Amino acid sequence: MSTDRVGASPNRVGGVGRVTGAQRYAADIKLADALQVKLVCLPVARGRIVSIDSSAALAVPGVRFVMTAADLPQPVPRFGPQFTDRPVMAVGETKYHGEPVAAVAAETKDAAEEGARLVRVDYEALRPIVTLADALAPGADLVQDASIRPRDPLAGTNVLREHRFGWGDVDATPADLVVENSYTFPIVTHFAIEPHVFMAAPDGDGIAVWSSIQHPYWLQRILAGVLDLPLSRVRVFAPDPGGGFGGKQHAKYEPLVAFLALLTGRPCRLVLSLEQTFQAVRRTCTEVHVRTGLMSDGTLAFVDVKADYNIGAYADIADRVVGKGSYPAAGPYRVPAVRIVSRSVLSHTTPATAMRGFGNPQVNWAVESNLDEGARALGIDRRDIRLRNVARTGDTLNPVDTRCDGEWDQAVRRAAEMIGWDTPAPPGHGRGIALGFKSGPTTGLSQSTVRLLSDGSALVYAGTSDMGQGARTVWAQIVATELGVPLERITTVSGDTAVVPYDQQTSASRSTVLMGNAVLRACQDVQAKVRAMAARLHGVPEEQITVERGIVRLPDREVAIVDVVKPGLGRMAGEIVGNGMARKDAEPDHPLQGSAAFFEFNCTAVEATVDEETGDITLHKYATVSDVGKAINPLQVRMQDEGAAIQGLGHTLMEHYIYDDEGRIRNLGAIDYRIPTSMDLPLELHSDVIENADGPGPYGAKGMSEGALISAAAAVAGAVRDATGIVIRDLPLSPERVWRALQERSAR
Amino acid sequence: MSAMAELFPIELTVNGRRRSLEVAVHHSLLDVLRDDLELTGTKECCLVGECGACTVAMNGQIVDSCLVLAVEADGAEITTVEGLAAGGRLSPLQQAFLDTGAVQCGFCTPGQLVAAADLLARNPRPSVPEIEEGLAGNLCRCGCYVQITEAVLAAAREADR
Amino acid sequence: MHTFAYARPATLAEAVALLAEHGAAARVLAGGTDLIIRLRDGTLVPDVVIDLKRIASLRPGVREEAGLVVIGATTVMTDVAADPLVRRHFPALADAAAVVGSVQIRNRATLGGNICNASPAADTAPPLLVYDATVVAEGPGGTRRIAVDDFFVRSGVTTLAGDEIVTAIELPLPALRMGAAHERRTRRRGHDLASVTLCCGVREDGVTRLSYGSVGPRPVLRVDETGILADPAAPAEARTNILEQLLADASPSPRSMRASPAYRLAMLRVLGRRALATALERLEARA
Repeated sequence: MSTDRVGASPNRVGGVGRVTGAQRYAADIKLADALQVKLVCLPVARGRIVSIDSSAALAVPGVRFVMTAADLPQPVPRFGPQFTDRPVMAVGETKYHGEPVAAVAAETKDAAEEGARLVRVDYEALRPIVTLADALAPGADLVQDASIRPRDPLAGTNVLREHRFGWGDVDATPADLVVENSYTFPIVTHFAIEPHVFMAAPDGDGIAVWSSIQHPYWLQRILAGVLDLPLSRVRVFAPDPGGGFGGKQHAKYEPLVAFLALLTGRPCRLVLSLEQTFQAVRRTCTEVHVRTGLMSDGTLAFVDVKADYNIGAYADIADRVVGKGSYPAAGPYRVPAVRIVSRSVLSHTTPATAMRGFGNPQVNWAVESNLDEGARALGIDRRDIRLRNVARTGDTLNPVDTRCDGEWDQAVRRAAEMIGWDTPAPPGHGRGIALGFKSGPTTGLSQSTVRLLSDGSALVYAGTSDMGQGARTVWAQIVATELGVPLERITTVSGDTAVVPYDQQTSASRSTVLMGNAVLRACQDVQAKVRAMAARLHGVPEEQITVERGIVRLPDREVAIVDVVKPGLGRMAGEIVGNGMARKDAEPDHPLQGSAAFFEFNCTAVEATVDEETGDITLHKYATVSDVGKAINPLQVRMQDEGAAIQGLGHTLMEHYIYDDEGRIRNLGAIDYRIPTSMDLPLELHSDVIENADGPGPYGAKGMSEGALISAAAAVAGAVRDATGIVIRDLPLSPERVWRALQERSAR
Repeated sequence: MSAMAELFPIELTVNGRRRSLEVAVHHSLLDVLRDDLELTGTKECCLVGECGACTVAMNGQIVDSCLVLAVEADGAEITTVEGLAAGGRLSPLQQAFLDTGAVQCGFCTPGQLVAAADLLARNPRPSVPEIEEGLAGNLCRCGCYVQITEAVLAAAREADR
Repeated sequence: MHTFAYARPATLAEAVALLAEHGAAARVLAGGTDLIIRLRDGTLVPDVVIDLKRIASLRPGVREEAGLVVIGATTVMTDVAADPLVRRHFPALADAAAVVGSVQIRNRATLGGNICNASPAADTAPPLLVYDATVVAEGPGGTRRIAVDDFFVRSGVTTLAGDEIVTAIELPLPALRMGAAHERRTRRRGHDLASVTLCCGVREDGVTRLSYGSVGPRPVLRVDETGILADPAAPAEARTNILEQLLADASPSPRSMRASPAYRLAMLRVLGRRALATALERLEARA
């Protein structure tokens, strides 16, 4: 098989730039004559701004402008992907530690920094709401003024929205055993190694913006709205992000920098520090209460979930995270009755946003752990209880949603087998198993253009952000397969809204399916034109010609596409342009406004030991198996799956924000917010895939890359429970927390 | 104290090329590489010596260039990621990173490569634990650690042939 | 980062004179792995930074002289950990130096900087205390030798005078055989600041020296001269009692976010037992 085509693992497109340092990330782009920007923040989360004095800052040589909310249109524009609640900069009161109250633009970074230090802000510190309990307490201060959510009956509370999902009658469904517990999931952050970068420059009558953004077209719409410009006057450059994980999906300080650029008439550049990035993006933290009803044979009778998510000061996309993350809470199982009540709760903390797994890891951790307890109480093997309940192809899950679209039991059996589930564990070793499950995209629109040039080389335009998943490699492989163009003659183009057709977003593991189909259809459009060209060239009726996989089949022979195109285009050259689109429309009556395009399914199985003296967990074997439909690039699939597992081990074992009473993150930055290093891995980590070509994407592909993260925590906690008997219902499973639980066990 | 920086003349050799420049004494080697010399392959992330994205070799020893003042590098020989591909050809280590899938977003890759090249120079046949310990100062949030280790092993085998 | 003046003295005398001139407004730069972080975050705003690395007489390195092993203050952790003299005579110090930060950090962080910083969590402090090290300081009045146990005061504070510079750390070559081990506790397996760092040394004459840090304002040294800890055949209860006495000076801060006092105190005991066992094994192996 050709090493270029679908099913092979060629070196990734853009790889050479990444190993030579030539790849230009946003911060590597130098704009001539740019002003450097530093933000001014209060030393508290919640402060009433009394006055801002910029005079000392403006006296610093090189400082050109100090922007405050007073310099912006009044009322200060607000924006957000779901609610238009986030102001360009703080208005009247800061809502989280790190929210900008002023921005200094200067000729040099040093001058901007010095100026930012000298902006004097008088403020009155107010008591912040940090925890869910604070936010939900009767009479709690409101994080958001009720006036920004007119006609909302919940506007007088800190509950932004309440979501109710389910089917059947939980209260009327009998069960032999009901297991009821509460679980918590901490605040964690994306910690992309590339901190966020925002630049803007006046561009004729409009504006050009550079951002390390995952959704450039959504950003374009946000900017057009805030700046009152037509989309055609807002050009977004989106260099490949240096890691996104959801944190770079939506606009943050791009509007602020855009206003600075327009007010100064100069390019402006803001590079956040890692600390500021921590203050800008994080995952929702969650308290989940689960009741799992089981029959004595292990059959699920009902699942009843209440989940409160702390989403921070502004909604960003977090309320969607709450809805879409809690919606599949019953898991990949056949369950007769399900009730899910989830709430997005505001607080004076960093606005939460999308993060790999999109609200599912929080609930999955609780529901899968609770199922383990049910299995133990019933004396049923924890793999077998999952096999008993997991849906088979075509089974109904949620009655109003897509049916089971994979042979999921194969993944469960495979992961269990990979750690030797049926063999006795060595003394002191414990095993855990958990299923990760998530609805794929509910709506989507991706457009692509493929240009087959006169020398047989090709350009493919696709607006997906390639942030590590290797999207461009997939597009190139599809073009190589369909048009027979070698990879080294294919150029992929992305990252410029003025040049590349629309793509709704890079999220929800959608791109291989949605953009993949758009690219495939663009190739098919090219093939149709090649077919017409071949008919003309060879004087054969079109009906007698087929074009596929790079080959033109004439009645009497086969020729390569390029051998039709070269003579067909002739001396004036030119090119063949194909367009493709993949669209999944909203369904207004659906609880999520759209059914799942596919489900992401994963099974993680773990074998662990615990140092009873210290609480250290050692993961001896770690297997992750995802149902991917078809691995277009098997190596990239493996990288995504194992990478997701390792990221999942972060929130499982060590990651969490620690807040002080003023609402400030105490462990701000890389010294005290710990993420896994190369020394924190399982001793053996293996991944595998289930491929039955049963997905809606090209060649039967499904989306993947989040599932392995979703199931990590419950699998590891299950192994710890198995090894030691301790049950921990709060993450992370830090050595100290495990040790405490061991102490309590001994005291009993 | 004013923002007027004290300037200090330094000479250093970067990827084999001698450079003379005046640097602000409070600027780090990372600042000078990226802003003054426009060698942007070396990345900025944590600025506290935890992540390793800014790793360069200085006089044959890898350092976090965010924790070295540029003035301290006066007279030093610096190798950055841009210096790894001799004559424009990828080194076996760089090629191994591509072949094993050790590069996802790529932002940590320059630091990983400089650190891995140093590791192999000190220890041409490293064990897996030695690689994991040797590269623990380079965080990869995409979680490519297993593939990075495979790449280092592959490059070591290649050098043995 | 705030601006400052940069001084690169060529001699120790020049450096000492600069320190005397600028007093508290001066900061000494050795490896910079702590200093530059604090210059950048604004917790330190010196007028002048004095770089010691061009002083000929402070050339880094380890040498043996007159019954001592002398480690230059600017010797980096990588070189301390790899040095044959250190590894032979003071293996627990080599072990401790080998776990300070990442390779990149160990290539810059100096032994002198590690102790002058006086972090209670400094990993080299417990072995230096166990091995009875002496800090050599140079000031306007000449050379002063300070027992390392008299050097640490509390976090960030030492008995070094404002115009003195640490030039070397001296370790007496052991007259008696000793087995020693360093242990630490961190939040992950990869590099991290220690939430407990501990060193135990057992001498062939039955004396046990136990030192621990990150559980109080400064690293602590306690010595057992009863011979009970060093005697594996002694009753377990007696050994536990002695160990408890030696560990009684721990007073971890409740404000730390790295570990709670209860966990630190418990781990101190775990690490104490483990280090003692390893130290005894090593003593045996040296016989």
